[in-house]
Amino acid sequence: MRIAVLRPQVPFARGGAEIFTDRLVDELRARGHEADLVSVPFKWYPGTRVLTQAFLWRMLDLDEADGRKIDVVVATKFPSYLVRHADKRVWLVHQFRQAYELDGTPLGQFGDSPEERALRRKVQELDRVALREASRLFTTSRNVASRLEASTGLAAEVLPHPPQELDYRCQGYEDFVLSVNRLDRAKRIDLLIEAAARDSELEVVITGDGPDRERLERLASDRGLDGRARFTGRVTEAELADLYARCLAVYYAPVDEDYGMVPLEAFLSEKPVLTTTDAGGPLEVVSDHATGLVVTPEAEEIARALGWLREHRDEAASFGRAGHAIAREVTWDRAIGRLLA
Amino acid sequence: MRVAYFSPMPPEQTGIADYSALLVPALRERVDVTVVRRGARKPPRGTDVALYHVGNNPDAHAWIVDALRRAPGVVVLHDFVLHHLVAGMTVGRRDGHAYLDLMEREHGVVGRLLGHGVLDKRIPPLWESRPEDFPLPTFVLEHATGLIVHSRYVRDRARAAGFSGPISAVPHPAWPAPSVPRERAGDGVVVGCFGVVNSSKRVPELLRATAEVRREHPELTLLLVGSTSPGFDLDRRLQRLGLAEDGLARAGWVDEPRLWSLMAGSDVLVNLRHPTMGETSGSVIRGLSLGKPLVVSDVGWFAELPDDVALKVAPDDVEVETLTAALELLVARSDVREAMGAAAAELAGREHEVGRVAELYAAALENAAGGDAVSDAVLREVSEAAADVGISANTAEAREIARRLAEVELG
Repeated sequence: MRIAVLRPQVPFARGGAEIFTDRLVDELRARGHEADLVSVPFKWYPGTRVLTQAFLWRMLDLDEADGRKIDVVVATKFPSYLVRHADKRVWLVHQFRQAYELDGTPLGQFGDSPEERALRRKVQELDRVALREASRLFTTSRNVASRLEASTGLAAEVLPHPPQELDYRCQGYEDFVLSVNRLDRAKRIDLLIEAAARDSELEVVITGDGPDRERLERLASDRGLDGRARFTGRVTEAELADLYARCLAVYYAPVDEDYGMVPLEAFLSEKPVLTTTDAGGPLEVVSDHATGLVVTPEAEEIARALGWLREHRDEAASFGRAGHAIAREVTWDRAIGRLLA
Repeated sequence: MRVAYFSPMPPEQTGIADYSALLVPALRERVDVTVVRRGARKPPRGTDVALYHVGNNPDAHAWIVDALRRAPGVVVLHDFVLHHLVAGMTVGRRDGHAYLDLMEREHGVVGRLLGHGVLDKRIPPLWESRPEDFPLPTFVLEHATGLIVHSRYVRDRARAAGFSGPISAVPHPAWPAPSVPRERAGDGVVVGCFGVVNSSKRVPELLRATAEVRREHPELTLLLVGSTSPGFDLDRRLQRLGLAEDGLARAGWVDEPRLWSLMAGSDVLVNLRHPTMGETSGSVIRGLSLGKPLVVSDVGWFAELPDDVALKVAPDDVEVETLTAALELLVARSDVREAMGAAAAELAGREHEVGRVAELYAAALENAAGGDAVSDAVLREVSEAAADVGISANTAEAREIARRLAEVELG
């Protein structure tokens, strides 16, 4: 089949959705499909730019390319699913979250004026119209499916996908706890730092980069964690696999995350995951005292839980192995089989 | 966003006052609501959008429509037929000329002549005898910037009446079923009918069907709750059908706790009417919350209830026969009652949940207050970009852009 994978592109930014869509194209090609990535830049501010930039997708003609039919388009996140196509399959990574669950929080975008309130409603209306057109509607997690149903009344099939390809392995359980995340506030790395401030034996390695890095480094310094909190910045794939292989556990506590690949990556390295009761998608695979620990989003609780894992390494390893059994069931063969069925 | 909320409120005893008492707390979680005191002439200063609850009762709604006519806003149209309201605000204020003008505007010279007949007391008041034929909605619609309605029926009638603004169809919110003792009106199956007892509620037909069903199922008790309309000869009808001695339980007006108790103690709820004024029914909504199987008339809002929740009886020449068959089924089959009741409770929790309804209200209000500004800004930016690359108005390219905008409701 000739398949176009659709991805909005925020220039100079790269995250989970980019890794996912690149990989999807590769995996489709590996299965004999003619697949390509279609990107359109996306800027969601100021004012109504979120709508006009979204509208660009509506003007695309993806019925065919260079005289040959495109059989299927696979849209992934807002606003790529505004595209018109006879076989539009949506594999939803997330909606435009500022218009939904992030509205009214510090991570929201729309103010209280009548115009901004109406703007938010227009984004919701776009979702309702465009997603209703889909011939198949999938989400990457139950969390995303639940939000979608609550906001639009549309039911979606849950279709998880595997994480990025790394040389996953387990080389024991050293003393440090690993954080793998873009450094922005929603990922709540500050809770991990505050936990380390409460437990003098807790060592943390914080990978990734992002707009919150400076604040987090200052916080670690203010709390006197020099030496116990290491910021690595971006790491190579080999370095990341090595950190996964050696860490004691992985900390992953974003606010209401869509899906989150990090727990699956940790599991493939046989590592337990510490997450929080409000983390959203991660809770679909991280179960308390089964594949990791789930605590309230408070530094005290996080410190206590990580201390417990340090003191109970056999249990930590057993949680990691239980996670491994879950993660290896999530394969591209299964995902693509259902996507194209 | 600040919303001025015009509605009857408790302690006024109207269904819409009860409705607003339920809705306002949930709406306040989403927008800044000021409930306007009864009699206020216009919205308070700083209001972004005014919301007017309009029903057919002039005692409850005339002041609201007066305010609407001074400051247009979003109208919740609880009834489509507003003749009684219009009469109250014209004839009732000794302004017969206004009534005649409105009748002529909507129904031509014939309307004006009929209006004269009413004013001269040559024919019965149309708001009592034939309101459904002369609904007079324009008196309100012409001042509405948007509409909130509870049914596709009213939406379609408003469109047919020429209303071109935005219309949001929002379900009637459901009261959570209170925990009340079940008051049983009979030992066998109890069929409850709640509301004013009169012909438009199809009580004559219900009595005849009940008498018919009781031939095979004497265990059936019909419970009639509500005041009897003046002139409706209930007792004589009961005597004639043999229901006076046995098979009928009667209560007049009851307070809210007893209403719930009697409903909870009923096995089936019947809520019929013809003609419809486009209204909803608070009794039906309460019945959904209680998980009761329903029998309703196949008209207006009632016809839009899902089939697995309500059996529908068309008000045609076999109405009594259809109603008899519906009651026989529900009296004889407890499994059907249970399945329909479960579907009713599920519907109340899903469609009519007050938080969901409040969210739909908030969306309608926010769109009404700021939607035009957003649409204008989008169209301006798109048209400027098109003009920059040489696409001018009334070209095929411009038409395609317009079509695509309309597809996603941006144009």
